[in-house]
Amino acid sequence: MSESAASPPVPAGDPHASGGRWALRGSRAALKSVQGVVLFASFVGFGGLIRDIGFPLGAAVLSTLLVWALPAQVLLAGGYAAGNAAPVIALAVGLSSVRLFPMAAAILPYLRSSRRGIGVQFLAAHFVAVTAWIEGMRRLPNVAVEGRLPFFFGLSATLVLSSMIATAMGFYLAGLLPRALAIGLLFLTPLSFLIQLSHNARDLVDRLALAFGLALAPLFAAIGGRLDLLWTGLVGGGAAWAVHRFMRRRRKGGGQ
Amino acid sequence: MTLLDGALWPYLLVILAGFLPTEIWRSLAVVFVRGLKEDSEVLVLVRCVATALLAAVVARLVLLPPGELLAVPLAVRIGAVAGGFLVYLAARRSVFIGILFGELVIIGGAWYFA
Repeated sequence: MSESAASPPVPAGDPHASGGRWALRGSRAALKSVQGVVLFASFVGFGGLIRDIGFPLGAAVLSTLLVWALPAQVLLAGGYAAGNAAPVIALAVGLSSVRLFPMAAAILPYLRSSRRGIGVQFLAAHFVAVTAWIEGMRRLPNVAVEGRLPFFFGLSATLVLSSMIATAMGFYLAGLLPRALAIGLLFLTPLSFLIQLSHNARDLVDRLALAFGLALAPLFAAIGGRLDLLWTGLVGGGAAWAVHRFMRRRRKGGGQ
Repeated sequence: MTLLDGALWPYLLVILAGFLPTEIWRSLAVVFVRGLKEDSEVLVLVRCVATALLAAVVARLVLLPPGELLAVPLAVRIGAVAGGFLVYLAARRSVFIGILFGELVIIGGAWYFA
């Protein structure tokens, strides 16, 4: 509310033309990135999976657009195939997607715009998923402030669109691919997540969070329950942050 | 129950059990960050939790994978992801080469064992 009253600053140059150019740059970044290629292949794998379990192609493509989170989509299609009730599936999907909250919260401050309302923020948040997040967190700090929002929309819309195409491709390719290759596509998700995450780890605190998450996950999985991913995130991430705070305070208060 | 057999049911399911439970987290984030500064310490914590959660997803998918991946022995799955990571480091942090190596290991393993 305060935004419209908070004075619309006179933008230098033509904001529309430059916005379009930034969107195009984002789109090009998506097409040229290794992450984009990996995502495409992962959704080809998803397309093959849903054909395997008898989930309709149209609904799967719709889920790529609306859900836009591969692990949740796999749960959804798997739950459908297993004949689970809708509330059970919704609960599983909701629990598996808690990570979207911290991811969106971490990237949204880069995507603020004084000229646009909060509706645009909700749209930007919808596009947050692992690949768009990883690429966005890596590139946005180097993008001029006024270009960040259009850059992100160009990047993520291109990723969504190509993933929708990939879903359909995988559906039609299923059965044609040798089994070993199909398994290779399924493995792309964990393999690429890990390497991209560590590629993105800017500071010690990010590396610690990554290492703690990897180390704690089997522990919490062994303890069981549906919330093991969430506990791993909270405990592992919290511990990494605590170390970061401790070292910071020591540096500041050096010597005492 | 008739809805369950209907052709529209999967589409409804995507919206009710897919879109809504994921979008709620994204929307909550929009509300949460209003007024927070880009370099606020809370956001560092939030980034840590997101990273650790994703790491847990990785570990889960390697250790307890869904479906077909189970046909590849656990040791090969761990070897592929660890090997891919080490090659990524050795290849001067080339994401592409790391992923390529990990994929070669898993496809080789799948071809041999599955």
